[in-house]
Amino acid sequence: MKHLILTLILLTFSYSQTYTFLVKKYDKEIELESKIIAKIAESSIKKEIVIFIPEMTDMEKNIYSKIFTIGKNCEESNFIFVKKNIEKNICQNKNKLYFTNNYKKLLSNKEYFGAFFWSKSRPNIVFIKNRLAQHNISLPSSYEQFVEDL
Amino acid sequence: MKSIIFLAVLLLNFLHANSLTTLLKEYEETSNSSLQTVDEKLGHVIVYSQKELKLMQHHKLSDVLKEIPLLNLNRNKFGSTSPSLAGTKTTVSGFFRLFINDHEVSSIYMQSFDNTWGELPLDFIDHIEFYYGESSFSLGNETGIYFIRVYTKSAVKENSTQINSSISNNNSYSQSVTHSEIFENGWSYLLFLNQNELNYENNYKNQELKDDMTSRYLYLDLNNDTTNINFGYADIKKDNYMGLSRDIVPDSGEINTQNYFLDVSKNFLADKSLKIGASYNIHKREYKEKNNQIWAIPKLEFGPTLGTTIPKEIEENMKFVKTAGYISKEFTQGNNKFLGAVHVKNKTKKLIHRKSVNVLNQETINGEFNNFNQETIYSLAVEDDYRINDQLLLLANAKFDKYDRDAYLDDSNEEMYRVGTIFTPFKNFGLKSFYTKTYLPPSFYNVDFASFRNKDIKTQQYKFFTTEAVITTEKSKFGIVYHNVKIDDFIYFTPIGFENIAHRIKTRGLMFDYEYNFDNGNKLDLNYFITRSSEFMTNSNNGGFIKFMGSYSKLEYFTSLIYRNKYDYKPSSSNNISVDASFNLNLGITYNYSKDFSISLKGENLLDDSTESLFADGSTNTNFSMRDFDRTITLAAKWVF
Repeated sequence: MKHLILTLILLTFSYSQTYTFLVKKYDKEIELESKIIAKIAESSIKKEIVIFIPEMTDMEKNIYSKIFTIGKNCEESNFIFVKKNIEKNICQNKNKLYFTNNYKKLLSNKEYFGAFFWSKSRPNIVFIKNRLAQHNISLPSSYEQFVEDL
Repeated sequence: MKSIIFLAVLLLNFLHANSLTTLLKEYEETSNSSLQTVDEKLGHVIVYSQKELKLMQHHKLSDVLKEIPLLNLNRNKFGSTSPSLAGTKTTVSGFFRLFINDHEVSSIYMQSFDNTWGELPLDFIDHIEFYYGESSFSLGNETGIYFIRVYTKSAVKENSTQINSSISNNNSYSQSVTHSEIFENGWSYLLFLNQNELNYENNYKNQELKDDMTSRYLYLDLNNDTTNINFGYADIKKDNYMGLSRDIVPDSGEINTQNYFLDVSKNFLADKSLKIGASYNIHKREYKEKNNQIWAIPKLEFGPTLGTTIPKEIEENMKFVKTAGYISKEFTQGNNKFLGAVHVKNKTKKLIHRKSVNVLNQETINGEFNNFNQETIYSLAVEDDYRINDQLLLLANAKFDKYDRDAYLDDSNEEMYRVGTIFTPFKNFGLKSFYTKTYLPPSFYNVDFASFRNKDIKTQQYKFFTTEAVITTEKSKFGIVYHNVKIDDFIYFTPIGFENIAHRIKTRGLMFDYEYNFDNGNKLDLNYFITRSSEFMTNSNNGGFIKFMGSYSKLEYFTSLIYRNKYDYKPSSSNNISVDASFNLNLGITYNYSKDFSISLKGENLLDDSTESLFADGSTNTNFSMRDFDRTITLAAKWVF
């Protein structure tokens, strides 16, 4: 019962629509992004997820570390989320899942199996069907709305 | 058993997708709340988020400024949208500063709004922040008291082409295209093109006063993770409304302005704590007027020959150039966060052509009114915010400015200081206070139009204390802001030109704001402000608004009532003007035919009860008031692809 009350209080606070002063840098967007990436990673990898985001900012590090184990580098991670323009071959070991925030990058680079990006002022998620198969990823069937043929 | 497992898998799948879809929705709403750039240290802030701009159908910057508390939005004698402080009609040079992204677009001539930006279309604007407080400490720019920061939409988030079109009952129309694209290498751009035709007319003593305006805007924002390149262009052609005509109604007149700017900034180091920026801005202004008597103050020789020096035709073509560069660095040591910035800005005024014809039909090619043509400002700004604990933040700022001016006005050294606290003892209660000592230097415009009695215009000195208390609940927010301002050497526009007021001016005021967010996403916002001044009123000094906005299914709707109180100008004099209160009622509805296409209908000033501005008729030595805007119905469409 105590846990339930505590959870409800936390939920109330987390969904609060108001604030007094934003003294610290506003981080709600990154927080939600990390939750979305967590959903995607959990659906794609059945073991413990170790995430690596190249050139991660301090704010991203703080927020992502609340729900992920953060890898020090690409080699020791199994889920790579590329948000910035970096060299293509950041890992020697190819047996990893690559995700991006750039749709053009997803289309041109077969290493990426999906992307979380904006289009027409709305956030979108796209998984490429044959790349999911290549990595033996079986997403929940309700994710089909996000899967595209290429 | 199999069916139970099947149902469980189905339920699990549904929850997976549902939560991801819900998260995406929440992510979009969070982004549209536009809080990413808010800097509480700059002052007391009002945010117009993307969501609010869309729901309220704010098509132009002036639509937003009409609502902003503690100021009045008037139409000045040149027909330009002109914000002025509650209680006064005087447009103070340098008081309001307007930025698009990092670039200040305030007029180089007047240090304030000119006719270019008040009607800025908002189709490419993501959100607007309005700061009550001296922000030049942190921004390293020229001084000001109220700062309006307009942020363009992010190309990364738009990633589309958007066409906006609107038409109003007074035959005004606006068309714009916004295109944005992201490249694989991380660069992205947003390009905005717009053309407007704004029609407005008034009449004085049964004579028509024209204020039609044709404007074109182009904006390009090119950026990647560390570099921002902004290019802006605005071209305005408009009637001069009353202009400088002594009898208020010119025979003819027009104002043409062109603005171009390029602003480049780059962040360095892994934490982006080092920032270097440079900008180049050209402003061209052409003015023409014909009338039997034009009260062009710099041309007048007050004395027995005054009558023969009054022009009946003037032409003027001027060019202003502003070049600026800055470097700023943030660093943290323990609980201290320091910011240091060095800023250099050079402004020049060049007369290209000036001609006048006097009442005796004598044509004169005029030179400069004075030799104040150039100013270079060197600024050093330092800020320290010291976090005593999670609840209490102390803030200290200092800024030192050196003004190098070519002749006429003396070179000067100025200093500004500010101390402040942000105290949030509880999650739902906060206090914020600032005490600021700052100044506003005279502009090129002040000096050109200085009174013949004393052409040595002095810098205005400001000391002000502001404090804000905020209480929140899960869905509501209540805030009070108090200000107390003391001004020495206030620059005031008298009938014979600008003069420093010899005595100290005092103003104080209170603003209350209450907002409530309903479960279904609808929002109610109530605001009321009162101000008091040591001077006689030349504008509404109290006001407020009530706004309601929201959406249901494919419909979005809003209503707002903006109030400004009645006031008497010089009530004890025979020249008394009594101006009625203004109740500006607005209503609007948007139908989203699909996610990509919508049609909107908006009614503004439906009670036809506009605010009014005071003017003086020099030909009869009388004062009068005149409405600032019309009742307008606007039909708009938006298509995204």
